[in-house]
Amino acid sequence: MKTIIELRINDELFELLVEPQTTLLEVLRDHLALTGTKEACGTGECGACTVLINEKPKLACLLLAAQCVNMKITTIEGLADDEGLTPVQQAFLEKGAVQCGFCTPGMVLTVTALLNECPNPTEHEIKKALEGNFCRCTGYNKIVEAIHEAAARLSTASPSGR
Amino acid sequence: MLLPRFQLLQPKSIEQATELLGKHEAAARIMAGGTDVLPRMKYGLESPSYVIGLSNLPVFEPVDSDGFLLLDSLMSLTDVARSEIIRQNAFGLAEAAYAVGSYQIRNMGTLGGNLCLETRCMYYNQQHSYQFVEPCFKRNGDRCYFIPKGKQCWAVFVADTAPVLFSLDASVEVLSNGSPKRIPIDEFYTGNPLHPCTLSRQDLLVAVRIPINSGLRGTAFSKFTIRGGLEFAAINLAVVLDVQEDGSTCSNARITVGAVAATPIRLKKTESLLIGQKLSDDLFNDAGRTAADEIRPIPHHGFSASYLKACLRSLTRDALTSACSRIPRH
Amino acid sequence: MRKDGPQKVTGKAMYTVDLRLPGMLAGRILRSPHPHARILHIDASRAAHVLGVKSVITGSDTLGIKHAFVESARRYPPDQLGLAIDKVRFIGEEVAAVAAVDPYAAEEALGLIQVDYEPLPAVFDPIEAMHPDAPEIHPTHPKVREPFHNIGGKTESEWGDVERGFSQSDYIAENCFESQLRTHGYLESQATVASYELGGQLNVWTSSQGAFIKREKLARTLGLPLSAVRVQKAYVGGAFGGKIDLFSHEYCAALLSMKTSRPVKIMATREEIFTAYRHSQPLRIELRTGVKSDGTLMAQQLRVINNCGAYRGSGIVIVFLAWGFAMLPYRVQNLKYEGYAVYTNNPVRAPQRGHGAPKMRFAIESQLDMIAEELKLDPVEIRLKNARQPHEQLPNGDNVHNCGLSECIRKVADHTQFLTKYGHSRKVAASNGRFRRGIGMGVSAYFGGALIYPNSSSVIVKMNDDGTVTMLTGALDIGQGAETILSQIVAEELRLPVEEIQVMAGDTETTPVDIGQWISGGAYVSGNAAREAASRVREKLLEIAAEVMQARSEHLVVEDKSVYVKGSPSQRLSYQELVAASVRKNRGDPVIGQGHWRIMRDEPNPPSLATTKGRWSENYAFDAQVAEVEVDTETGLVRLLRAVTAHDCGFPINPLLVEGQIDGQVSMALGHAFMEEVLMKEGRTLNPSWLDYHMPCIHNLALSEHIDVITESYESGRPYRTKEVGEGYVSGILAAIGNAVYDAVGVRLYSTPFTPEKILKGLAKQRKRVDDAARD
Repeated sequence: MKTIIELRINDELFELLVEPQTTLLEVLRDHLALTGTKEACGTGECGACTVLINEKPKLACLLLAAQCVNMKITTIEGLADDEGLTPVQQAFLEKGAVQCGFCTPGMVLTVTALLNECPNPTEHEIKKALEGNFCRCTGYNKIVEAIHEAAARLSTASPSGR
Repeated sequence: MLLPRFQLLQPKSIEQATELLGKHEAAARIMAGGTDVLPRMKYGLESPSYVIGLSNLPVFEPVDSDGFLLLDSLMSLTDVARSEIIRQNAFGLAEAAYAVGSYQIRNMGTLGGNLCLETRCMYYNQQHSYQFVEPCFKRNGDRCYFIPKGKQCWAVFVADTAPVLFSLDASVEVLSNGSPKRIPIDEFYTGNPLHPCTLSRQDLLVAVRIPINSGLRGTAFSKFTIRGGLEFAAINLAVVLDVQEDGSTCSNARITVGAVAATPIRLKKTESLLIGQKLSDDLFNDAGRTAADEIRPIPHHGFSASYLKACLRSLTRDALTSACSRIPRH
Repeated sequence: MRKDGPQKVTGKAMYTVDLRLPGMLAGRILRSPHPHARILHIDASRAAHVLGVKSVITGSDTLGIKHAFVESARRYPPDQLGLAIDKVRFIGEEVAAVAAVDPYAAEEALGLIQVDYEPLPAVFDPIEAMHPDAPEIHPTHPKVREPFHNIGGKTESEWGDVERGFSQSDYIAENCFESQLRTHGYLESQATVASYELGGQLNVWTSSQGAFIKREKLARTLGLPLSAVRVQKAYVGGAFGGKIDLFSHEYCAALLSMKTSRPVKIMATREEIFTAYRHSQPLRIELRTGVKSDGTLMAQQLRVINNCGAYRGSGIVIVFLAWGFAMLPYRVQNLKYEGYAVYTNNPVRAPQRGHGAPKMRFAIESQLDMIAEELKLDPVEIRLKNARQPHEQLPNGDNVHNCGLSECIRKVADHTQFLTKYGHSRKVAASNGRFRRGIGMGVSAYFGGALIYPNSSSVIVKMNDDGTVTMLTGALDIGQGAETILSQIVAEELRLPVEEIQVMAGDTETTPVDIGQWISGGAYVSGNAAREAASRVREKLLEIAAEVMQARSEHLVVEDKSVYVKGSPSQRLSYQELVAASVRKNRGDPVIGQGHWRIMRDEPNPPSLATTKGRWSENYAFDAQVAEVEVDTETGLVRLLRAVTAHDCGFPINPLLVEGQIDGQVSMALGHAFMEEVLMKEGRTLNPSWLDYHMPCIHNLALSEHIDVITESYESGRPYRTKEVGEGYVSGILAAIGNAVYDAVGVRLYSTPFTPEKILKGLAKQRKRVDDAARD
């Protein structure tokens, strides 16, 4: 049975017709064509579908759309704005942390959340924050370099964080 | 992968939740964070008509209630790991919560959900459209694929937070058909892999209650995996060590091992080896050996029983050393 | 920085699964639950009546035209069908497909297709399958003389006289090594969108490693002319060898679209990928090596058995390549090789990054270290003794040209202080320390580009009116940065920024042919084609400039998107002006250049897979790698601490991309070494998820360093030889890890993965030996 729900995604409000079992991932990809959030496993074990719910990284494949009402949802498409790429995105590019790019949206969002919570993470904190994001291309080496680079940039940046 | 169709109910209070449970009985299924329920549904392991989503229920902060730490079962695992009051009084629980899954899963998954984790087996936790088509015991069938000549199910209970609660002598607060019940943690688990915890479909796990200890205590949690992340435990262990005022004679020891049976198991023989003794590296080495001999681990997920024993020995010694180092010293 | 980087970090890059077309249907595949069975009858009538289902197809709806990874009319006729017709030969084999307006209808329809099977005896182990009493999956290849069952193909090769070589040897080692079934683990699922237009044009987007090979196989199996099938690019989320040949879901999506006249998308679930798609090829390697006391390799005899799966697939290629990876890095005077691809009732296999090199080098390098220890030589000197030298001729007639192997070995040994560390752990008393460290070396070689359909890469470079450039290439970026590399080459030739090169790629209709991204020929073959195309453009620009400026082209300088006479840089003509001049003066010539390249230009045919006769490649890359590991002697867990790769890659076109390739391969090597294994029992996959298939996560990150050994150079206007960097580095690290584990704890393992249990068992055996020796 379909119902209409309202979701706030990337600071825009959307009215959507969903079934109870419709996941947030389906809403993003199939209803809204926001295909930046990826499905690589569908069962919560790869991190490719990571989105930020009230700034916290969560897995869209295991969230029912109807349970995301009244929450602030941020997808990869909602990061960069008029000011261009964020420091995290820039760092990923400059350090060569992007190869096939399929894990990249999930990684970037998780890293963004990590650096928001923990501007100067230790190696252990980085690993614990990213242990749920798989990458098969990079070996994670350049991803960690990008995180350090982004952390450095953010700490010297203006109070707005850019 | 598709989720089967269901009706979603989203109560705003515990009372509403219990009312709905009472109304729909076995046709309804509680869902907290969804990180166990939803994959199970995608694998075709359950298909409830109603899902009672608890994400709109208020979640209370951990409180000290008459010498007991009271934790809302709906606390996210991230919050459990970070909570100051939990870290002060039950550090092993914070460690265990931090060891679960991944950052995303810890943000979504709850303490209660972890305690109610269904038992697992490689053959079981996958779809059965062209592999293992005939249902096994846990799927209400008549066979076991893991031990083909076996007459029982060998699924194991792997949740990380449960062994800690055993070692802390905790209990859980349950609403059973609406009426409150307090169940000691070692009675909460049945040992039956087909139905690992005593909750029926109408019950709701609302809180965890941990006695606050005022003596000299150190706790530790250890989890063994191959990768170090995004993996259920091959074996996990929770240790609580209390010492007398001299700071080195053991007055109480609790060692609970998980993931090697359908329920966490207290290693009572190993515990008794420690009680009354002066804590030392040699003692911890002995304890490791005793622990490895004390139980027969159920092999699972590719790990053999003998290997799990070897891990248990190592893990026990390490966890005891770690717990010992956390005992406050004057 | 990569050209496609911004698209990827902002989530704008469209992969096949992201594509949506109006009216698109969801497709699903029905798979066999039996490892070996006859299909007696299929009744799809109830499925067809489900509301929302638009088409249901089975084998009888197909033309029954077969395809295969490697096909040759006489020796290796194709053996795979888009949908099974009479028999199924592995659990998961494709039996039917449906297309419906939504996934739920498709799922329901799948459940209503009634298939009557007659199960047949099945066999899963290759040694058992070879036995004359084994159930026959396919008849043994007619050219195989031995009385074995289920041989899909055999490679044999011999030179010199091995028996004489062994008789002249001072020491002979004989061992058997085995490697496990592992899988690619690409993040992007297999997916295809097919859209058949009225008028007979089939448009296909599919996650693949080469558009042209897909087009050829699709067209043929569907009975369509090549020109009616258009395969277009989407971004590819990793492949590593697992997305090369034709897959059933691609065929079915296309056929369903033809039947419904609507676009159809089929995406494999992660579970389907783990259970029914192509994994790598487990090899059993029997290796007998004879050496002189100074370490010179005298003779080597090998027998390789490949657990090939239910159809030939790439099984016959790996047993050929395994020979290549044996004869490459070291000079072996006498060699005898036999390789068998054996059918078993398991899913079909595919190449996986290295295609046999990791397994072969693990075997050979482990044994070489054992030999060195026996002869009291160190691992460095024995390798230097036998390393191929520049311009050496290989037994098949290829030449290694500027081979930098010896330099790689020396440099990596220096950089890691190898000889100081080697043996240290074992010298210290055995009871010392829970964590033991060790160091090991592995040498490997790989090839760049080889002759296989379509055999040629071509690139077109065209000037735009404003002086920018558009490059048309059939190459696909599967993560390795193909578009970036090719753009860099064009930028080098035409002296303009990479950002001003627009790339149109991977469209069989509009871009010229490309060999595909699975033979490590991107930088060399497609790169030289791009260079040629850009050179043609450069020549034209110089010609027109010479005419307009009334100068001789030798006196002209090309720089910064313009041309000027040497010595007068202020008087320059921009590309924009030159293009306009060309249009004006040369009857509308807008300045377009075409380039093409074929590896082995003077060689008409690829070598024989069965006899290895014939030349294979003119582009060989070499490397020497060192691994430092730490073994936890209580739990058997091993960590790779550091990997150092000294590689002769020719010259690196894009160092950052090369580093990324090395890091990724180190990660794959450690996964192969310690933790990855597809567990199967009687044809069923036990761990079809990333939870239980232990692909490395960030916790397993290893320090990865590299040393460039530059043996080639790039000169504008001349062909260059840069070597491959995308596949060859897994093997050296894997081999090095095996040797490092031995160095750490004295346990020699003969099979991968080096699981904790195997390590503990090895340590227990070792303790027992020590105890027994002490008692005696």
